[in-house]
Amino acid sequence: MSFTEWIFLLGGFAVAGPVIAHLLAKPRYKRLPFTMLRFLRTGQVESRSRRKLRDLLILLLRCTIIVLIAMLFARPLLQIRLKPSDSKPVYCLGLDNSMSMAYSDSGGSYFDKLKDSAVDYIHSARDDALFNICALASGDWMQGLSKEQALAEIKALKIVPGSVNVADFISGLKRIDREKHTPDQVSVLLLSDFTPNTIRQIISIAEPAVVEKIDYEPVVSSSPVNNAAITVARVVGFRNGQLTINVDVVNYGQVEQHRQLTADADGYKSEPIDISFSANQRKNYQVKLDIGTPDRRPSCVPVELSLSDSDNLKADDTFYLAVYIPGHQDLNVLLAGDNENQMYLLKTATDTLSRTSLYDTLRSKQVAMEQLAASDADWADVVVCSGITDKLGDLAMDIESFVKAGGRLVCFVTETPIPDAAKQLWRRDILAALPGKFVQESAYIQPTPYDSTGSGVDHIAARSLSNYRIDRVLLKSYFECEQHPDARMLWQLQNGSGLVYFKSLGRGSSILINTSVDDSLGSLTKSNASVAFCRYLLGECHQVEEHCFTCEERVVLPVFDKDQFFAGQERIWVETCDGKKRRAAVVDSSLLIPDPAGIGWVKTLSKPTIYAGINLPPGETNMTKPVEAELAGIMNRIFTVGDESNVSKAGVIRDKKNRPLWKIFAWALILLMLAEPALANRLKR
Amino acid sequence: MRQNRKYLDPVFLSKLGNMSLVARSAVEGFFAGLHPSPFHGFSVEYSDHREYHAGDELKFVDWKVFGRSDKLYIKQFQQETNTTAYILLDSSKSMSFAGNGPVSKMDYGSYLAAALSYLMLSQSDSTALILFAEAMKRYIPPRSKRTHLNIILTALQHNRPAGQTNLAGVLHTFAETTKRRGIVILISDLLDDEQDIFKGLAHLKFLKHDVIVFHTMDHQELNLDYEGLIQFEDLETKARIQVFPQSIRDGYRKRITEFLDNIEKTTGNSGIDYCLLDTSAPLDRALVAYLAKRKRSM
Repeated sequence: MSFTEWIFLLGGFAVAGPVIAHLLAKPRYKRLPFTMLRFLRTGQVESRSRRKLRDLLILLLRCTIIVLIAMLFARPLLQIRLKPSDSKPVYCLGLDNSMSMAYSDSGGSYFDKLKDSAVDYIHSARDDALFNICALASGDWMQGLSKEQALAEIKALKIVPGSVNVADFISGLKRIDREKHTPDQVSVLLLSDFTPNTIRQIISIAEPAVVEKIDYEPVVSSSPVNNAAITVARVVGFRNGQLTINVDVVNYGQVEQHRQLTADADGYKSEPIDISFSANQRKNYQVKLDIGTPDRRPSCVPVELSLSDSDNLKADDTFYLAVYIPGHQDLNVLLAGDNENQMYLLKTATDTLSRTSLYDTLRSKQVAMEQLAASDADWADVVVCSGITDKLGDLAMDIESFVKAGGRLVCFVTETPIPDAAKQLWRRDILAALPGKFVQESAYIQPTPYDSTGSGVDHIAARSLSNYRIDRVLLKSYFECEQHPDARMLWQLQNGSGLVYFKSLGRGSSILINTSVDDSLGSLTKSNASVAFCRYLLGECHQVEEHCFTCEERVVLPVFDKDQFFAGQERIWVETCDGKKRRAAVVDSSLLIPDPAGIGWVKTLSKPTIYAGINLPPGETNMTKPVEAELAGIMNRIFTVGDESNVSKAGVIRDKKNRPLWKIFAWALILLMLAEPALANRLKR
Repeated sequence: MRQNRKYLDPVFLSKLGNMSLVARSAVEGFFAGLHPSPFHGFSVEYSDHREYHAGDELKFVDWKVFGRSDKLYIKQFQQETNTTAYILLDSSKSMSFAGNGPVSKMDYGSYLAAALSYLMLSQSDSTALILFAEAMKRYIPPRSKRTHLNIILTALQHNRPAGQTNLAGVLHTFAETTKRRGIVILISDLLDDEQDIFKGLAHLKFLKHDVIVFHTMDHQELNLDYEGLIQFEDLETKARIQVFPQSIRDGYRKRITEFLDNIEKTTGNSGIDYCLLDTSAPLDRALVAYLAKRKRSM
């Protein structure tokens, strides 16, 4: 045994402390008068010897603890002389089982060739050799295998979707070095197609691994590579039931490609697009896919983009793209002001919104508050009022029905709200807050609303509002409001008073803005924030989104309307790419999918079905052959072979290895410290 | 009953302070708590009539005679033959041991002696008190007058434990100097050579005394319930021993049991009444033992 920091061993002299204390200490005892001493005398000898034994044992225990602490600080190492049996040769095989190895030519698949090479290598090794096999894509290590076991493992090895991880292999090699064998025992064989993706990873490795011998073999085709792949697909538009998708197609081989690109979604097929591209060429195509007019319900459409006339690698000829299409969004906004022109600024903002692609149709209409009628609720989805007036009080019952049926009431307040009307609306639980005392003092708005995800307002608009320096907008006055117990305050003034209150009622909602139209929106309109603020008030609007992941990514799907999708479901089950049923978790507004287990579709088993397309990482099937000389240089850089290593030249005793003992010492110390009080107490008996 | 037993509790008696009060409380508490018993009324028998004088208790008026003669006569009773009780109270230093409690063996023995004296004198028995350690320290000769109680109680109250025990010597001396036989009540912790004690007791029996031995022991002496390292110091010899009581407790209890069994067996064989008293226990056991003995001796 040796010590790295031997100076700490001097701490062992601290045992002198308890020893001196033991020698000097006199036993502490109580003095008591007694009468029956003749009956005590017989037990006295036994008791005295027991006490001496106890004191000695406790002294020994405490000295041991001190010595152990000193030795622990000195970092003990155990020098083990390697037995002849430990000097067995060790072979580490790094075998590429990534998806690119599925490429096959006339001579068979790359993966079969790799297996054959690995088997030949194992056969050529000594019978007593040990084998460690690492599947580079799946990251699995099989260690300490005999020849027969290694052959069986190679036979059972399978291709997995995904890329190789060379860094894991190198760090695994270093671990083997440290723990079990000296570097000069370890020989490495690396078998891969050495695609550009793999070579990039190898180049990025900073610290070389020390081995006795390195062998590598690029598994490549002798004929020109014939492979094209769809690498990326993005939805760029959705109008009138037609999806427009941009698709990137790459020729990863040396053979000119003439293929057809089609999109298929639940039986709807696009017109095939003839594509042709030369070696190593990348092209972008636009595919139009008619999926019919969707109904009012949101849906998720699985779109498979595929290349016809397969090449030598089929896995990358299909791209899985799930498209989330929100429900048909028509919105009618009724703007009720004191007069027809009071809501002019809001009208302008809604008109601007209607020209965006956020809504299928967005219509707005201005009316004078006095002309507001119950029949208007039949047309409008959102009613925006410039203040709480008598008319609103009169229509309280109709407004309640309107909101409960799914409508939205947005109320600003004026300097003179009508208390009776406000109370009528309040009693019917329509108002999110009841305006109370009027405060005629200026106040600034908080820079951003609260996080409003899932709160009934548009969260994208809420986030974008922070870009408009709203905290510089000065309000002239506001009310001290009483918040409804079921309502939430979504936005505050900087003095702590509420600005926007939100309340759900039935299927609809009600918003109270604690300021007048002129004050808030008027000031905001001077900036571009009016459109964002208007969108914020009108509620959530969803856009077409893609759910598309690589097989190495964590699959997290946004769920816009959790209540609609998973109402009453405690467990969400999904079918993963391998066809197995797995459990998913809903966290906030996201659905977390466990391991997708391959490429293809991940879909929820409950209706409506949500899809996620899982594809290969970009560039994984780039089959460009490596350049021999370049590859040799890279391998020499990341593997330091036997005699060249600095370690061996430094004269380390090669038939010995050091094993750190600090864990054993630490555990012994902990056990002794736990045992000390128990033992001391026990010995007193 | 429980309320009455309070007066027999040594801890309660120790709070009374005055020995006369101790004696009366103990005995009255004992009788008040006693069930109908064979001891009731054994000491009186009708003797004669005399004329009633003012101040006599009406309960002794013979109403039948009054009916016939229209004169008040009092019934008079003749005391039964008196006996003499000798109370020998060990006053050696070892009797001052009090263990963990407030009552020492000396206190307990004193209460017992006081209660017995009260009981005896109320029955007109002659009562003597002998306080001893290495030798007889004080001898109060037997008298049957009620006022004699005060002398005994005062002696008990002023008695202080001192000196070593020489029980055997005291017993022999007592046997040789006492001519009239009676009930000898020995209150002691018997911390002397066992064989010598037995010889002393046998000497008393030989002289036809009725002997009762009240062996007072402290709870700690019986059980050794101490913890931790303790240096015990002998109260009489000042010898010291350092031990862990917990490590020798079992052996100690075994030896104590053997000691007590030996005493009980030997005294039983000699016709001596033996009563082991734990100082934490009430006094009634001792009083019952005495009354039973007295009845047998009449």
